[in-house]
Amino acid sequence: MGKTIDIIKKTRGVPDSVKENMKAFNKIKRQILKSLETEEKTVPQIAQEIDLPLDVVTYHLMTLQKYGNIEAGEVDDMDEFYFYKLKK
Amino acid sequence: MSKSEEYDVLVIGAGISGEEAALNLANQGYKILIVEKDLSVGGKMIHLSKVFPTLDCSACITTPKVSETARHPNITIYTYSEVSNIDKKSKYDFRALLTKHPRYVIEEACTGCQLCEEACPVTVQDQYQYDLVGRKAVYVPFSIANPRVAAIDIENCSLCGACEKVCPADCIDFTQEEEEIQIKVKSVVIATGFKLFDPTLIPRYGFGVFKNVVTAMQMERQLVPTRPYNNVLRPKDGKVPDNIAYVLCAGSRDETVGNPICSQVCCMYSIKQAQLLMGALPMADVTIYYLHIRSFGKGFNEFYQQSKDMGVTFIKGKIGKIEEIEEGNLKLRYEDIESGVVKEANHDMVVLSTGILANDGISSMFKDKLELDPFNYVMQKDILANPAQANIGGVYVAGTASGPMDIPDSILSAGAASAEIAGYLKEGEDHEK
Repeated sequence: MGKTIDIIKKTRGVPDSVKENMKAFNKIKRQILKSLETEEKTVPQIAQEIDLPLDVVTYHLMTLQKYGNIEAGEVDDMDEFYFYKLKK
Repeated sequence: MSKSEEYDVLVIGAGISGEEAALNLANQGYKILIVEKDLSVGGKMIHLSKVFPTLDCSACITTPKVSETARHPNITIYTYSEVSNIDKKSKYDFRALLTKHPRYVIEEACTGCQLCEEACPVTVQDQYQYDLVGRKAVYVPFSIANPRVAAIDIENCSLCGACEKVCPADCIDFTQEEEEIQIKVKSVVIATGFKLFDPTLIPRYGFGVFKNVVTAMQMERQLVPTRPYNNVLRPKDGKVPDNIAYVLCAGSRDETVGNPICSQVCCMYSIKQAQLLMGALPMADVTIYYLHIRSFGKGFNEFYQQSKDMGVTFIKGKIGKIEEIEEGNLKLRYEDIESGVVKEANHDMVVLSTGILANDGISSMFKDKLELDPFNYVMQKDILANPAQANIGGVYVAGTASGPMDIPDSILSAGAASAEIAGYLKEGEDHEK
């Protein structure tokens, strides 16, 4: 049996919004993962480094954590922000 | 030509009330069809952390019931399906149209391994985590979903085919189409539950604009073991909050937003969350801004007093406005009702205790006119003698489809519905003899 994806592609397109959203997510994902390559960081540290709003970084970071790309480490000295690191 | 199926009772909605009513009737030998519009059974209760006032684990109570419902030989469940055109032909003869939406996954073959999720390149907001994190376009709804089967969000799918390539069970099927089934039943139970108030309708609270203003359901998700974050954190910057405010009656008892009635559960779920937060974040201050505390149920007032003893601060105050100040913190401007003075207080996170509303579209499922009360809940024809009976003979209501109520009352209501239906069906059987 052939792949059914080829059948649906004949009748259905992909909206531009889906393509743009996918591009944006994957770009931010790469930026966050690259940022964490050198050392573990907090959300504000990542946001400052990759120059994105804090809430955008939090959302994507937590999504990456959900899918097992990164993990939480220790909390900082002020008990305010967790450090995040790449999952080996 | 579409298929046709016959059952004794159609239960619309597979939350705690629908399951309870279905199980009670199935255990008496009746054949039950449950139709659930969501991808999983379990309703809203399956997403909660603990229940009040006992602080029992919500999932631990609901998942055995979910399992029992799913495995019962007298119960058939259609998830991701809707029912329409419910037409009473005569007594004990209802016809309806069931529409089964395509999951693009062969349910019987899917093992819930989630390899498709790993392969999917698309991320959109996860509605089961109340948008706090993302999910993939192909996804198992949540870890304790039943059925634990993937589904493809075709509207957000990039049609890359990666899921189909990696699926070890060959269960991705993009050729699936909507399926229609003609249903014949003797009785109908409406157990459609409630919807949550949309807090963007009160712009002065800043929900959606100020990221550290969250709903109580978002906080609830942060308090469950399958939480979206690694701890209770602020969505704006991932900071551990240490001064959290609750705003009660956000969208309840408020004529200006079209919901003048009390939602019955917000005081108690907020007090519950406050206690859980004090466990999760021992150094945090929790303040509850309230109009009246309605702790009317068994053990509720003791639970309220316990939260005070634990250090939760209660302020009788009406919130006028929430503003964002430095570092994502929030300034609450409120009328201190005890002193009559307008005051301000700073917090680093605000939880809106959003009210509950009647679900839309219940009456449009029926060809006959289903009467609703002034707040769009299903009208109970005789609330004292037959509390579950709707205005159409043979149609019953269970749980929050009839009005705001907590979980124990929903279960009681479902018990009442199943008892009334059993009587109704028995009367029909006796008549046939």
